[in-house]
Amino acid sequence: MTSTIEKPAPTAVREVHVAVIGSGFAGLGMAIQLRRQGIDDFVVLERGHDVGGTWRDNSYPGAACDVQSNLYSFSFAPNPDWPRTYSEQPEIFAYLRGVADRYDLRDQHVFGAEVTAATWDDAAHRWDVETTAGAFRAKVLVSGAGALADPSYPDIPGIESFAGTVMHTARWDHDHDLDGERVAVIGTGASAIQVVPAIQPRVGSVAVYQRTPPWVIPRGDRPTTPLERSLYRRFPAVQRAVRAALYAGREFLVIGMAKNRTLLAPVQKLARTHLERQVRDPQLRAAVTPDYTIGCKRILISNDWYPAISAPNAEVVTAGIAEVRPHSVVTRDGVERPTDTLVLATGFHVTDLPIAHRITGRDGRTLAETWSEGMATNRGSTVAGFPNLFLLVGPNVGVGHTSMVYMIESQVAYVGEALRAMAVEGLATLETTPAAQEAYRELIAERSAGTVWLGGGCGSWYLDEHGHNTTLWPDFTFRFRRLTKSLDRQNYVGTTERETAGATA
Amino acid sequence: MSTTTTGPTGTTTPTRHTVHAVRTPDGALLHATVDGDDAAPVTVVLAHGWTLAQASWDDVAALLAPDVAAGALRLVRYDQRGHGRSTWGSTDPVSIDLLGEDLAAVLAELVPAGPVVLGGHSMGGMTIMALAAAHPELVGDRVRGVALVDTSAGQLSHPPRTALERVQERLLPAVGAWAVAHARRVEGWRRLVPPTHPRHRAVVRGILYGADATDAMVARGAEIMAGSSVRSFVAFYPALGEHDKAAALAELGTVPVEILVGDTDKLTPVKHSGRLAAAIPTAHLQIVPGCGHMLPQERPDLVTAALRRLLP
Repeated sequence: MTSTIEKPAPTAVREVHVAVIGSGFAGLGMAIQLRRQGIDDFVVLERGHDVGGTWRDNSYPGAACDVQSNLYSFSFAPNPDWPRTYSEQPEIFAYLRGVADRYDLRDQHVFGAEVTAATWDDAAHRWDVETTAGAFRAKVLVSGAGALADPSYPDIPGIESFAGTVMHTARWDHDHDLDGERVAVIGTGASAIQVVPAIQPRVGSVAVYQRTPPWVIPRGDRPTTPLERSLYRRFPAVQRAVRAALYAGREFLVIGMAKNRTLLAPVQKLARTHLERQVRDPQLRAAVTPDYTIGCKRILISNDWYPAISAPNAEVVTAGIAEVRPHSVVTRDGVERPTDTLVLATGFHVTDLPIAHRITGRDGRTLAETWSEGMATNRGSTVAGFPNLFLLVGPNVGVGHTSMVYMIESQVAYVGEALRAMAVEGLATLETTPAAQEAYRELIAERSAGTVWLGGGCGSWYLDEHGHNTTLWPDFTFRFRRLTKSLDRQNYVGTTERETAGATA
Repeated sequence: MSTTTTGPTGTTTPTRHTVHAVRTPDGALLHATVDGDDAAPVTVVLAHGWTLAQASWDDVAALLAPDVAAGALRLVRYDQRGHGRSTWGSTDPVSIDLLGEDLAAVLAELVPAGPVVLGGHSMGGMTIMALAAAHPELVGDRVRGVALVDTSAGQLSHPPRTALERVQERLLPAVGAWAVAHARRVEGWRRLVPPTHPRHRAVVRGILYGADATDAMVARGAEIMAGSSVRSFVAFYPALGEHDKAAALAELGTVPVEILVGDTDKLTPVKHSGRLAAAIPTAHLQIVPGCGHMLPQERPDLVTAALRRLLP
């Protein structure tokens, strides 16, 4: 480098201690943890132009959380002012932006920075991170890229020929006016059952294309009262107690889903009664009654899904889509439905995390390639061959019954412990071992055996192409927290700076 | 409907299917489905009976499916207000005349032009009579034929003759109003004896079906009726009693009319169809042996054949 360069070239590489990918609950939680540990030399790489992650991108009408806000929020940043017990997307997005402001994290962000490649430089012990907003070099890489990040598009013949608007729920086009249109919604998962009731009253007609019906239970949602809010504000302990009660109540579901499936019978009864109360039409009732045990796929909560699909301008189509034509959708029974707009409520790439294709480890193979035989990790957080890499919301960290934020906080604390150990021991690298991964894989397999996700008689995005549970934590979430409370140092190999220096000398 | 035809080029031509919520002047939303091509030379519009839904025409629709797929006709079915997926409007109490206006609204929105053949079962037949009475100009020019299945022009109720009937007449409105007000509780009781229950089916068979009806037919009808709300049972009962369109039948005399009735129909017995046939000079009456009040299910073949005879 010569002295004639006055400004850093656009290709200048920025050196940081820690690079965090994504600024949803995971990325922000990690950033706050770093701050607390006195690590200020970090950057959050965010492909969007604001914080919020999944809760920024999923702005489709009706988007809301299935977990009460008192539980679906950071434990250290309670919000006494949630307007409803279950929040909708705008409130959660606002909460995350508020957290970013309160902890003064925005300056640590680089927005518009989509990570295109992250490669381990084994000689320098650094991660080379290429983004759409420049290159970075970090000692430690934390991926908070999330599982519900990249939309999954269905492979339907002719869909590219469709002349009307096609939009995925996670990429909603708010400028597109649906009023009076004939709308096709593909999918009946968590997004569909929220978006359909929101758009049904204003569209001309809506056809919901269903592959497998979900089990749906009532949504105990209500506006919070001014009394509650002032109580929470003045006595934070009350809100903590409510949070603890909500947490405990939800953990009971684990007993049914993972321990003893017969305990799910009352929940299934509740769902069946809900369905029979809200759907009078016998044909529709038959079409939307699941044939698998409740909990096998994610249990959905809604009070307006069944009324929406029972509405005069709605129909549920079970025949299976044969093809999409420029102005219609044709099903396998030979029926053609003229269609103006196609809404894809088809979910995300969950079992094949897209970020895994972009992270390359010591042996030059990507995480996805390393995982082609199955996702192996230690505690869902670290991978052998990928030193100084930590995954948040990685494999087997997902939960269907309670708040992801609880799992994220567990993992963030675990990463914090690892960073502390690195600092204390003066480590240049910290890397888990294949033996630790194998032990953890066995633990997951053993805990998954006999659960409703494997034995409930359904296929779901919880399972990978081999039918293995690679997404869900198959036990009580407090067990995961205990497992990640401190660093299992025996499962890691560390190299010190001095050894490194000696090795290269 | 589930039929495909193979066109002259060898490509499969799927059948068009659209769903509509037709808004009536008083704000009811009527759930209507349209099968077939808009360019078809004639549209058949079917109106169902009391506490049923458009699903009661499914068997007839299945038999008409080849004609629909071939582009020979377009089929419109709808749920009467307060039935199936259709909502109640602001009008209270309801009447058969109101149902006639609803049918007019369905025609105005979904069949604004071209020849129409109307088919009505039970209360749906009365609906067509009410349409003809209020809009005689439609008959002949637009409406080219009418099928009246298991229906009546009136005199379905009579003044109380015994003390018991007088008490019943006095109490019925109050009982009905109570049932509607406590619909949730009544629904709970109804669920105790679901349509899968043998006793439930025995009652349905006894009231509605003839000797030749299969158990599957009875089960299907019982299920459709079980889907009807307490309010539709209660609100339309007096409307049926007040229905009197004997004077309007002459309006139908300008087009062919097919009248069908089961010989053991208990709700609209044969004499009602006899009166219709006598009052409509263009009528053809068919009394079907071994059948009750549910001909669209009991003998969909005969109902379909009657509709086909009416096609221009």
